[in-house]
Amino acid sequence: MSWTTVVGLEIHAQMATQTKMFCACRRGSSASANESICPVCVGWPGALPVLQSEAIRCAIRAALCLHCDIQEFSRFDRKNYFYPDLPKGYQISQFYRPYALGGGIPFEREDGSPAELPLVRIHMEEDAGKSVHESDGTSRIDLNRCSSPLLEIVSEPLTMTGKEAASCVRSVRDLLRWVEVCDGDMEKGNLRCDVNVSVMPEGSNEYGTRTELKNLNSFVSIERSVLVESARQIEVLTNGGEIRQETRLWDQDREITESMRGKEDSPDYRYFPEPDLPVVQIRSEDIEEQRAALPEMPEVRLSRWLNDYGYPQLETVPLMARRANGDYLEEMIKEGADPGSASNWFRGEILRHLNDRSEKIEDFPVKAKDLAALIVAVKEDRFSGGRAKSLLQEALDPEVSLESLIEAAGSQEQDTDALAEWVDQVIAENPDAIAKIRDGDMKPMGFLMGQIMKLSSGQAHPKKVQELIRARLS
Amino acid sequence: MGESSGGGVLPTPESTSIEVMAHLKAGKCTTVELIGHYLRVLETTGRDLGAAVEVHSDSALAAAQESDARRASGKPLGKLEGVPFTAKMNISTAEGTTDAASGMLRGFKANEDSTAVARLRAEGAILVGKSNCDEFAMGASNESSHHGVVHNPWDRDRVPGGSSGGAAALAGSFGWAFHLGSDTGGSIRQPAAFCGATGLKPTWGRVSRRGLVAFGSSLDQIGPLTRDARDAQLVLSVMEGGDPLDATSQDFDSVKTPTETSAETISMKRIGLVSEGLTDAIDPEIRQRALEVTEQLKNMGHEVVEVSLSTLSKANACYQVIATAEASSNLARFDGIHTGQRVESEDLEELYSKSRRQGFGAEVRRRIMLGTFVLSSGYIDAYYGKAQQVRHEIRQEILSALDTVDSLMMPVSPFAPFKIGERVSDPLALYACDILTVTANLAGVPAVAIPCGFDSGGLPIGLQWMGKHGDDHRLLDLATSLQDQDDAWRGLPPGGSQ
Ligand SMILES: [Zn+2]
Repeated sequence: MSWTTVVGLEIHAQMATQTKMFCACRRGSSASANESICPVCVGWPGALPVLQSEAIRCAIRAALCLHCDIQEFSRFDRKNYFYPDLPKGYQISQFYRPYALGGGIPFEREDGSPAELPLVRIHMEEDAGKSVHESDGTSRIDLNRCSSPLLEIVSEPLTMTGKEAASCVRSVRDLLRWVEVCDGDMEKGNLRCDVNVSVMPEGSNEYGTRTELKNLNSFVSIERSVLVESARQIEVLTNGGEIRQETRLWDQDREITESMRGKEDSPDYRYFPEPDLPVVQIRSEDIEEQRAALPEMPEVRLSRWLNDYGYPQLETVPLMARRANGDYLEEMIKEGADPGSASNWFRGEILRHLNDRSEKIEDFPVKAKDLAALIVAVKEDRFSGGRAKSLLQEALDPEVSLESLIEAAGSQEQDTDALAEWVDQVIAENPDAIAKIRDGDMKPMGFLMGQIMKLSSGQAHPKKVQELIRARLS
Repeated sequence: MGESSGGGVLPTPESTSIEVMAHLKAGKCTTVELIGHYLRVLETTGRDLGAAVEVHSDSALAAAQESDARRASGKPLGKLEGVPFTAKMNISTAEGTTDAASGMLRGFKANEDSTAVARLRAEGAILVGKSNCDEFAMGASNESSHHGVVHNPWDRDRVPGGSSGGAAALAGSFGWAFHLGSDTGGSIRQPAAFCGATGLKPTWGRVSRRGLVAFGSSLDQIGPLTRDARDAQLVLSVMEGGDPLDATSQDFDSVKTPTETSAETISMKRIGLVSEGLTDAIDPEIRQRALEVTEQLKNMGHEVVEVSLSTLSKANACYQVIATAEASSNLARFDGIHTGQRVESEDLEELYSKSRRQGFGAEVRRRIMLGTFVLSSGYIDAYYGKAQQVRHEIRQEILSALDTVDSLMMPVSPFAPFKIGERVSDPLALYACDILTVTANLAGVPAVAIPCGFDSGGLPIGLQWMGKHGDDHRLLDLATSLQDQDDAWRGLPPGGSQ
């Protein structure tokens, strides 16, 4: 019998806000343990949560880019459980009335065809702190992360392969990064994923019993765990067994899933409405304000590049990888660089530099405006490509500004005196070649050019050199 | 009262806070003399009654000195300049402890004033100490405090009511000061009625809950226990209003200063006498007193009509479910890990259960278990869900009743103050104390309780009036006009003060 794998996703994304969700403490603080805390986020008796509007704005942008139906009224609930990194004994979440319903995640099937994973809902909730278990058996608790804002994106189940499930999460990651809702670094844990897996006989439309794989933190683990878990389920069913509804853990090293707890052991969270927070109202003005603030979305940008700039599809891949890449490129074009050169310089010089250092475009020391000026200068024949590249190399020193380098170098036209000397020297040293050229054989021209370029350490402008040689010989 | 040690003449013991301010303004004594004497009252009567569990002498005298200096130098004075006040043990204060009368929070220092306390101090009021209460404000007799029982100043063998029993015993036994309590299901009004004091439960959201150790968040309100309604009005006008640190707090209109209070115009002309508050379940003497006050209101020009609140009989069950559900969650933070006494253990589960078993008293544990149960999977719809529904019905009924009358009138307690120990082993008998008070909390409306005479045993009787959301000051105007008719409330219990 052939089997079909059905996958549902629950994606937890940390919102990249300045403050925590219910207090003014700095979020994402790299401060040492328990430095970014206050009475509210540590659940001090008498302290009350106050929803920070930045979290709402962020959540609206997420819902917009996943095309959800944003609810005018939503509410927070308490999810009650005991754990040392949860100082209030409950987590403020949205259970009964989430702020966004529906929507979908665009992704690509393995055969390259476009598809969409429909969403059930997105809700806001606060994160817990961190427990650090030492080897001597003691546990330490760091509450810096406690009460940081999270989004939980919950999908419908859909027939998918592991690779496609991973591609869905990648798509969410890219979109949330694009609209600056989440940093999306899975290795840092600011995007985590729970995956529900079930299998059913091919052609069936009745889902099998699902298991939940908790806390997957890489695309590879999502892809592999779905594959491995569905294979396990198929084997159980083929041998006449039954699938137990349970939570399982993915062991990345051994490539197996292991039972963590059954459904009957799953905690009873005793959700009830959070009495300390009023109903959340998201008015259409709030939504429109965020919509207006959204950047150009990737599919719009891509089609514009393909149509207006005439980029080949393949060329756009590194440019689309991060929104900031495209923003830099657009800035160069806005400052006068032609789209073709801008793309060439980005994919060549810039990416080489960034990749060598594992840096991002935000770290690139040269301003898009200055690089555009250099590109224009080359286009206008004021510099050779080689000269321009060496100027850019010099400008990678953060102390050096490309703008002043361009200014100081002026154009190579100003070097006519030096150039004339080099030309005269080469003519004097190569009488044979000169004779040939005088006879109409232009072949030695390349050799002479090479000699002059060598003398100028590559800085001479080839066109000027050619003009000077012709002038001398005529 | 006679002379103070400094030579000034102190106000008479039954003087209200407003009268004390006039006394200070007239220069009859200094604030230091006044506060110094009040601290002695706390140390003697307050301690004897079990009502004052902390006396903040040093900080209070320092504040009094500053107040005298302000007055002497002609600097602007606060609306409560020089007036002493206490805060219930579950209200955070910068000085002293805020242990909610629980062994779980033994020695817990909040280190910061609650918003209400901060606003009162900013207007010159002087915090003199902390008052006893039931553990985590759960109780109606002040018998569950780890600081011990509080005695009713009118009969020391009897309970003062609860949970703000300490505040009520202080307000009932001596004047001058006002006392902050909290009311989740009657915890200000019922002890006020038992001790012959005036108590206000404000509209939910009117006074910031920030700094109040939470019991049932959707029901809790901080409010004043005072000698009279004018004092309550002044205190409310200082501490009310939206607080950026409590998202559920807000401004309400009709803020008045007590000098503007009624008498000329009739506040709350149409009074609804709740017939379900006068059934056989209510002590006949209390019923009788309610009817007499009704006549008095008519004589004052009010219209009194009978109003039926059919939901009143469901209110207490509804309250027990919602209050315990919220409490079970609010008290989860006292886990021995972050907050609360820890009983060390190798095992996490055991650390939790031992710390919580040892830290919490029996009544608190009972309510946590009840609350956990009513929220549990399989039961939540039948209990918590149903209670939410009933709460909605209660609210609707109260609001529609308050469309036809300005105020709803009822006794506060179905019975007179009972003997200490009499009901302590019978939780249901204790929960019955709340049957007439919980409705205001469930509906979120304001309610004021004022002393209205005594029963044949010489024990105070209190009656209460509820109003629409935000009608707190109109209710207090009504209470003031009643208190202006008859000053029996001014009397202090024999031997209540030194
Ligand atoms: Zn904080």
